[in-house]
Amino acid sequence: MNHAWRRPAAVALVLGVFLGACREGHQVRWDQLPPGTVVIAVDSATSVRNAALEPGALTTVAADTVIGWSGPGGRPFEVAHRTGGPEAGHSRQFGTIALPIVLRVGTPALTQYPCTSCHAGSTVTMAPRRQADVHQDIQPVHPDTTGGVCASCHAREDAQLLVLAGGKRAPLDQSYRLCAQCHFQQVEAWAGGGHGKRLDGWQGRRVVMACTDCHDPHRPAAQPRIPFRAPELEKVRSTSP
Amino acid sequence: MSDDGTPALPETLPDGTLLQKPVDRRGALGLLAAGVVAGVAAASACRPLNASTPEERELKVLEWQEFTQKHYRRMTESERAETVRRIERLAELRHHEEVTIATTDAQPGVLFGYAFNISKCQGYRNCVEACINENNLDRASDTQYIRIFEMEDGVVNLEDADPTYQHEAPAEGHFYMGTQCFQCANPPCVPVCPVGATWQEPDGIVVIDYNWCVGCRACMAACPYWARRFNWAAPEVPADEVNPVQHYLGNRGRKKGCVEKCTFCIHRTRKGLLPACAEACPTGARVFGNLLDPDSEIRWVLANKQIFRLKEELATEPRFWYFSD
Repeated sequence: MNHAWRRPAAVALVLGVFLGACREGHQVRWDQLPPGTVVIAVDSATSVRNAALEPGALTTVAADTVIGWSGPGGRPFEVAHRTGGPEAGHSRQFGTIALPIVLRVGTPALTQYPCTSCHAGSTVTMAPRRQADVHQDIQPVHPDTTGGVCASCHAREDAQLLVLAGGKRAPLDQSYRLCAQCHFQQVEAWAGGGHGKRLDGWQGRRVVMACTDCHDPHRPAAQPRIPFRAPELEKVRSTSP
Repeated sequence: MSDDGTPALPETLPDGTLLQKPVDRRGALGLLAAGVVAGVAAASACRPLNASTPEERELKVLEWQEFTQKHYRRMTESERAETVRRIERLAELRHHEEVTIATTDAQPGVLFGYAFNISKCQGYRNCVEACINENNLDRASDTQYIRIFEMEDGVVNLEDADPTYQHEAPAEGHFYMGTQCFQCANPPCVPVCPVGATWQEPDGIVVIDYNWCVGCRACMAACPYWARRFNWAAPEVPADEVNPVQHYLGNRGRKKGCVEKCTFCIHRTRKGLLPACAEACPTGARVFGNLLDPDSEIRWVLANKQIFRLKEELATEPRFWYFSD
């Protein structure tokens, strides 16, 4: 705090009356900036969008309308596409840092459902259970504990299709249709807003993440991890693979 | 009370004139101060005093103007614009930071509410990380608005809870409960302020005019949730980590000796975005929305889940609910 106002009052009065009008004419160069200018560090598409975001203008989030469920008040809502990347694929900008929104950790080699990168154009006969020499990254905790096998959820003719009860097929982006067959309470809360994550805005377009954006379908429970602001543990984390 | 439900402020009465220009008391003080500085500046143009460069002289003028600025709620639109430009320029002169400070008002028909799912929170503290970066919190004192308490299953006892756990989370047999400013509907921190530097906005956010705050900390003593933080020194944020998207009532640079607190990320939420903590949470434990919209997620949670609030018996009416699956 500036305490220079304790200078003699007489000086203040004389100079104040004499030069008071200088305040009005004072020009500095921030006057050149157009009003409403938003300055933001641009290092992701998200920050660009955030800078210009108005209610209901989440135009860059790729999403599909949810089939079979509606949000509070019967309003339709949308489920976001996975956007690639080693984790679930959603990352957001906070100040100068970008944070991935990830519950699931692992499967670093898996990006954007790459089944077709190996299996394109050829017929793959899927074994009923995971074979030890393929897909080592898949730890089938969830199917094993429920008595499920690969084909309980994946279509035999195409592993990128999900099998719904009654034999209907659904794309992987509609995982909620498969999960809901058992986890109906969770999906009800997800549709209402008490489970899952809404992206970006509380206002306007409602885009939420799909089940498998957060939960590894083969190992759905949240796993223990080192929290933020655990300095001693962070040292260990930085040196471990 | 005025039409929009906010307490009416007394009109500022012109009580004098200076150079045939109508001014109020405070304006007169500002003019005098500016005059002093301009005089000093004029003198030092010939004989350098303690402000030798044009930037230093400009800084002194702006600091005087900042010192004598009005209360935020008494500013006209043009005065607000002038004020934020001055603060932006001061940030540039003092810290070489290019920031943009908004004065966005509350949206009509919006009252913010927050719900926290104690079944979902895994204690990862991503919210804390996002909050620190988004709100330009002091790195030197490690100021944090959010505390995540690790609690034993089946007990809600904050006295025995640990907000500084240093192990992997979630820990076996524990659950996690986050606190921050609850933007109470009956905020005990507001009436105790001797200078009216803190008040509740129409959208429910309790805000502080950092320039008007005198640092007495009566509000901190009044808050039963320890939501407010005091700046014992000017906050330090590395220049390359400053979030340049700021709001006058929110994450702009604070000064030494003023109180600050969570504002539900006022610079984000008034634009329709989620608060940083809600957006950063990987578990979906944080639900935020408009309490006046019957079709909002927050209203769905309040209508369909088991909910409670912290220290309900104090009648502070927090707009922050806890719920479980």
